[in-house]
Amino acid sequence: MNALKFHWHLPQGGERQGASRGHQDSLEVTGLPDVEHRLRFCRRAEELGIDSLLTAFDWARPDPILLASALGLATEKIKFIIAYRSGLIGPTSFVQQLNTLSTLINGRFSLNIVAGEQPDEQHCFGDWLPHDERYARTEEFLAVCNAMWRRDGPVNFTGKYYKVEGARINTPFIAPDRTSPEIFIAGNSAQSQAVAMSEGTLWMRMADRPEAMRAKGESVLAAGKELGVRCSIIGGRTRGEALEKAYALVAEKRDGFNDAATEREFMRKSDSVNVRATYELAETEWLTPWLWTGAVRTHGAPAVAIIGSPREIAEGIEELAAAGITQFIFGGWPKLETMEFFGEQVLPLVRQPIRQPKEAAAAL
Amino acid sequence: MALRFHWSMSSAGETLKGSKARSAVSGIPNLDAHIRFCRQAEECGIDSLLTAFGFHRADPIVLASALGMMTTRIKFMVAVRSGICSPTLFVQQVNSVAAMTGGRICLNVVAGHTPEEQKYYGDFLSHDERYERTDEFLTVCNAFWKNTGEVDFAGRYYTIEKGKLNTPFTAPDRTAPEIFLGGNSAPADRLAMKHADCMWRLPEPADRMRDKAHMLVEAGTEVGILVSLIVRPTHEEVLEATTRLLANFDGAPKRTHEEFARKSDSVAFTSTYKLANADDWPAPYLWTGAVPYMGAPSIAIVGTPEEVTDALFEYRDAGVTQFLFMGWPDLEEMARFSSDVLPLVRQREAGEASKAAAAS
Repeated sequence: MNALKFHWHLPQGGERQGASRGHQDSLEVTGLPDVEHRLRFCRRAEELGIDSLLTAFDWARPDPILLASALGLATEKIKFIIAYRSGLIGPTSFVQQLNTLSTLINGRFSLNIVAGEQPDEQHCFGDWLPHDERYARTEEFLAVCNAMWRRDGPVNFTGKYYKVEGARINTPFIAPDRTSPEIFIAGNSAQSQAVAMSEGTLWMRMADRPEAMRAKGESVLAAGKELGVRCSIIGGRTRGEALEKAYALVAEKRDGFNDAATEREFMRKSDSVNVRATYELAETEWLTPWLWTGAVRTHGAPAVAIIGSPREIAEGIEELAAAGITQFIFGGWPKLETMEFFGEQVLPLVRQPIRQPKEAAAAL
Repeated sequence: MALRFHWSMSSAGETLKGSKARSAVSGIPNLDAHIRFCRQAEECGIDSLLTAFGFHRADPIVLASALGMMTTRIKFMVAVRSGICSPTLFVQQVNSVAAMTGGRICLNVVAGHTPEEQKYYGDFLSHDERYERTDEFLTVCNAFWKNTGEVDFAGRYYTIEKGKLNTPFTAPDRTAPEIFLGGNSAPADRLAMKHADCMWRLPEPADRMRDKAHMLVEAGTEVGILVSLIVRPTHEEVLEATTRLLANFDGAPKRTHEEFARKSDSVAFTSTYKLANADDWPAPYLWTGAVPYMGAPSIAIVGTPEEVTDALFEYRDAGVTQFLFMGWPDLEEMARFSSDVLPLVRQREAGEASKAAAAS
């Protein structure tokens, strides 16, 4: 089994403590690169042994490739997970931008490809395809990208959405250990799973019960690809303390912003199976004793949270790992403190299991 | 208005740019060499550095974002071709660089000059259609930069509905990036007058540029030239420099450019090849001898500092107010320009200004 990799969400520009995505997107500061503040976060993540930081993509934020370029130049170790969407840029140019970035920061990034979450937002970028076609296009897009990354001659491709002829670029992808970036395909639909298996390296999903994640992910594992999960961490010294934080997060009113109404509206307009499925999953508040959906309807699908004491969280992660998940993208409120809590108190438990294997414990 | 001077950064880390076949160029940017280039340009009073676009190069906007983080004053003139990304995404990228560098980004819009290369990028439009699409592209971009609310646009190539972005273009003195646009055809002229702050042309003798420059300037678009530079203390040294430059070639690179000229549908490039075929010295200060070996942009203003200064003012009097230079090697030529020519230019400008003040 692959060693588990733990990633974290990069904070937004001027991130408000506990703010929901809807709230944060409504703030102008979210659009600013806020490089100094983010660099401090990157350096702390490096110290804590976090693998990569997710630079998200949407209309409200700076471009993630360029943000990763600025942050990557000023850091040494930390990697980035660059979220991007197909349909906004040609595959040749996309590969050229990423390869250029790789030469500048030694290939310290992977990709999180999303097909788009909301038709309204896609229209703002000039993309008018419906959900299923967006996946078909994403598959073509990545097929061209992967062909460019193989570097075995000029690329010819004629598809429904892309056509390139004799395509080549001189700037290669450079990294110590790879010739192309890892490609996470984010989604929950059958189409996203298929793209993860054909063109991706990992299927990145929102959190669900471990047995459900295993059942849906088995064919991906069988195809030799990885499974990943994006969720949140809410921790405390004890489970009680963690629960208090969780309920406070949902109850708190920030600047009179109506998180629940905004998220409801986002969900209503969304055609993402991932977003909708998680919203519906949140009918059940506790998916397992440690997996809580209580913040989903205010803070969005990535707010499904592993909750508890450091040991309970480590056990939750181990259960997910046992279901085949090898990469985790975490968030929390506030991000920095939660990442520190994770890095200092949870990560050592996950890395060096002092706990006896269950069978051994049962035998005692 | 003071003349403005820009420099091409395409060769950072290379000595004889343009002399290699494009496919033989490494494509891996030498970051240290680029940073040295930027810092010297800052010291030399250069306004901005062109980061060009091509399949054989690093991506210009990613490179500019990186270099912008390592420098403080120099601006980056990022080359962009339409038809490669969504205008909304493009504005988001440009605004992101602006926000990270204090607005030190301007744009050099080119419609693409070789159909073969456009096809690498999935672009199969004809020359005139590329201009039409560039028009739509810039119309959408400018609508975002006006920042007056959601952007709606329905065209032949782009349809944007309720477009919005949260990252504004920020700069000390502008709310949108300065737009340069290269070309020499009628569609390019129309596009420049509609969208550009300044149009880049390849040079002809100054008096032959006057009429077209006048038309653009009347429409509120400045005219600039994209030209190489050879400045030496004496005329003998100037001629020696041109001879030495040609001695670098054994004929092979000439074929490289014949091949390029044959495949190009760029009116600007092909007209410079024609000029070069007709005459090595279309004007006493304008030399085309290197064009067959190093391509159209190697047409050069050559002379002593005084002669070059005179030539620059001849162009200015014909309506040309900005210059995008290249040199061999760039950094040495830039240093000579800065120490020997630029002071003469500024002196003459100051002299004219005080004369004008005295007259009024």
